[in-house]
Amino acid sequence: MKQAFLLGNGAMALGLLEAGCQVLTSYPGTPSSEILPETVRFAKAADLNTVIEWSVNEKVAFDNAFAAAISGKRAACCMKMVGLNVAADSFMSAAYIGNIGGLVVISCDDPGPHSSQTEQDSRFMARIAKVPVLDPASPQEARAMIKTAFEISEEFQVPVMVRPAIRICHARQNISYEELKSNLTPAVFKREPTRWASTPKFRFLQHKALNEKHLKIAEKFNTLVPYNRHTIQPEQSFALGIVVGGVPSAVVSDLCAEFNRTDIPLLKLGAPYPFPEGLASQFMDACDRVLVIEETDTVIEYMLRDRHKTWGRLTGHVPMEGELVPEKIESILNQALVESSLPPLSDTDSTKAGFALAASLDLPIRKPTLCPGCPHRASFYAIRKAVPKAIYPSDIGCYTLGSNLGGVDTVLDMGAGITLASGFWHAFHQDGEDKPIVATMGDSTFFHSGTTGLINAVYNDARFVLVILDNGITAMTGMQPAITQGLRVDGRKGNAIALETIVKGCGVDYIQVVDPYDIDHTIDEIKKAHAWALSPEGGIAVIISRHPCVIGLRDQALPEIFEVEITDECDDCGLCHLRFECPAMVRNSEKKKTEINPVLCSGCGVCLHICPKHAVQTVS
Amino acid sequence: MKTCNFVLSGLGGQGILFMTKIFAQTALNKGYNILGAETHGMAQRGGSVVSHLKIGDAGSSLIRAGAGDFLISMDEAEAYRYLPWVRPGGMVFANASAHGFPDDRVVPYLTEHKITAFAMEAGKTALENGAPRSTNLAMVAFFSAFGQGPLDADALRQTVASVSPDPVKQVNLKIFDVCHEQGKKLC
Repeated sequence: MKQAFLLGNGAMALGLLEAGCQVLTSYPGTPSSEILPETVRFAKAADLNTVIEWSVNEKVAFDNAFAAAISGKRAACCMKMVGLNVAADSFMSAAYIGNIGGLVVISCDDPGPHSSQTEQDSRFMARIAKVPVLDPASPQEARAMIKTAFEISEEFQVPVMVRPAIRICHARQNISYEELKSNLTPAVFKREPTRWASTPKFRFLQHKALNEKHLKIAEKFNTLVPYNRHTIQPEQSFALGIVVGGVPSAVVSDLCAEFNRTDIPLLKLGAPYPFPEGLASQFMDACDRVLVIEETDTVIEYMLRDRHKTWGRLTGHVPMEGELVPEKIESILNQALVESSLPPLSDTDSTKAGFALAASLDLPIRKPTLCPGCPHRASFYAIRKAVPKAIYPSDIGCYTLGSNLGGVDTVLDMGAGITLASGFWHAFHQDGEDKPIVATMGDSTFFHSGTTGLINAVYNDARFVLVILDNGITAMTGMQPAITQGLRVDGRKGNAIALETIVKGCGVDYIQVVDPYDIDHTIDEIKKAHAWALSPEGGIAVIISRHPCVIGLRDQALPEIFEVEITDECDDCGLCHLRFECPAMVRNSEKKKTEINPVLCSGCGVCLHICPKHAVQTVS
Repeated sequence: MKTCNFVLSGLGGQGILFMTKIFAQTALNKGYNILGAETHGMAQRGGSVVSHLKIGDAGSSLIRAGAGDFLISMDEAEAYRYLPWVRPGGMVFANASAHGFPDDRVVPYLTEHKITAFAMEAGKTALENGAPRSTNLAMVAFFSAFGQGPLDADALRQTVASVSPDPVKQVNLKIFDVCHEQGKKLC
């Protein structure tokens, strides 16, 4: 027996290997990113033969796992919830076709949102696809549910989703585990075109079969203890019952235990879809009212289908947006208990006073910023200098924070830096205006979703400058290796793919590579590219702004360290900390000048080139 | 069973997760179950970072506002931001100048809720000893001087020794001892 202090993502990695998952694929995205590397760590330590890959995007990840599953192997893919949107086409289709070996999709939700563009509830995606879903309450339960998910997936030949929210993924818990073993089930692909390549006629039959599977799975979910259960005995009745799922079920249980409230009945639905009608009916029949506390949307609330008894988001008892943190759940419960003429759990007046006090203190607003020395800062600074009055469509990654430098006007989704640029071009060109546009996108995002948009833009003769920010790593999600480096998740060598080759292959003729640390040269090249893009013989101009990530590839990023100081020439214009926005450059309000914070300064030396008064000098 | 709840706060890059690891490892060594919640992703890039750690048997990872036993903050403003998480009778430890801490505006709240607050210039001490990045374990040492909660100073020091890489181990232990002594003077 071994013991480790694991992230929820690590607990799920363990669950995958314990269940005999043979193939695991993923594209990184908070809060899912650590599942794959943790699986690699456990698989290496136990010398397992598991195939584990960072795929180029989530759809690609899903398809690779699906192929393994229809060859009889246990396979899984994991992603953040918006990644499932990218994989949605495959996900929906796969539910009809089904699988042989277990196929588990782990879609990690981000109520808050903390690090995402939406708060969407993956359980709704499961419903749209008609895929069964399990919703864990803790890391330990997530680990156990993965095994259950594989078993259900194999029994009913349907993909199964496990939906952990961020408080599962980034919780940490001590977990004990036994020795892991490789699953040696061989790949067998039996040709069956009416199933694996089914035409609409067979799709209808597959849909019917899927609906029939659902009735059986719902029956199973009625008694799927401990994930689905209630605390009501026969003949009991209550004024108020609480229906919970996922993380809120753990919070509500903890609150009831803390305040010693054994009088509040709970219905826990850790396997909410297909909906366990029988179990839910027993609970509903015994309660005058039920309050539904689930994250992030109204999945259970809709499926309870009783508008007279049910309290939740639709009745205004639970907020429609935001994470259900424990103090919020405490106050939701208190209100419902009081409305049901029952004593509240607690008195929260002092907590409210605490929040009011903290709000009154004018504490500094800490917005996320690019790291000191980040090459993206230099790139955005150069873009703003070179083409100051442009539209700046951008994309998803660390460089979204280029908004702080005024270099990001739009962020829609992965790949939209390019597609919005071409859309803007045509919208303005229609009016006879050649609008200056400089789009930005990271290297990993470009491989994920950039190429189709770029091919489309070239084909339809849009005109803009695309700056690909190539830092050699997938940084925001935790420093996963980049395709351009050719390193795979387990450290083995893959085949590196050069951005230049792909960009050229998309039909782009104008490609320049710059190092953004050489800021004057970068400004010149962006100016030239912009002029060319708008010239009659021009087209889309691509600048590859290449410099290694200062955090993930520190030694390569900083071959020379510049120790800098601010001279008396500083006239407090603020450009360095306001427009260049370097966190290591701090205004001293007493001396009315900028100072360098030596703890934060990376020594990149880029600031030596940006001060209009030349007040930044190397320490002699 | 009631858990012992630590709220650890600061700024992205100050080593809050490493500080969490020191407490968690020490609790593990003592045979406790632990459950914590961390900040990852975009919020880590220079933003306000908080880590929750429950020692004992818990089902959910987040500490409810008003239920934290100890708030340890790497930054004075981040201590005030997370003040609502401290329970009546709880304790606050901040990396701040003892001069002017706590801010006059929070004193009545602290008094009313019997919350005691202590400050030490952990960042300065770590810097003086040549390891500014060890401010986090300087705060652990400062906390350890007060002998509160289930994790004693010897056990915490032992964890610091076991998790510090060799090149910085001696300096980390020296910072630990210096800060522990500074804390002792305030007990």
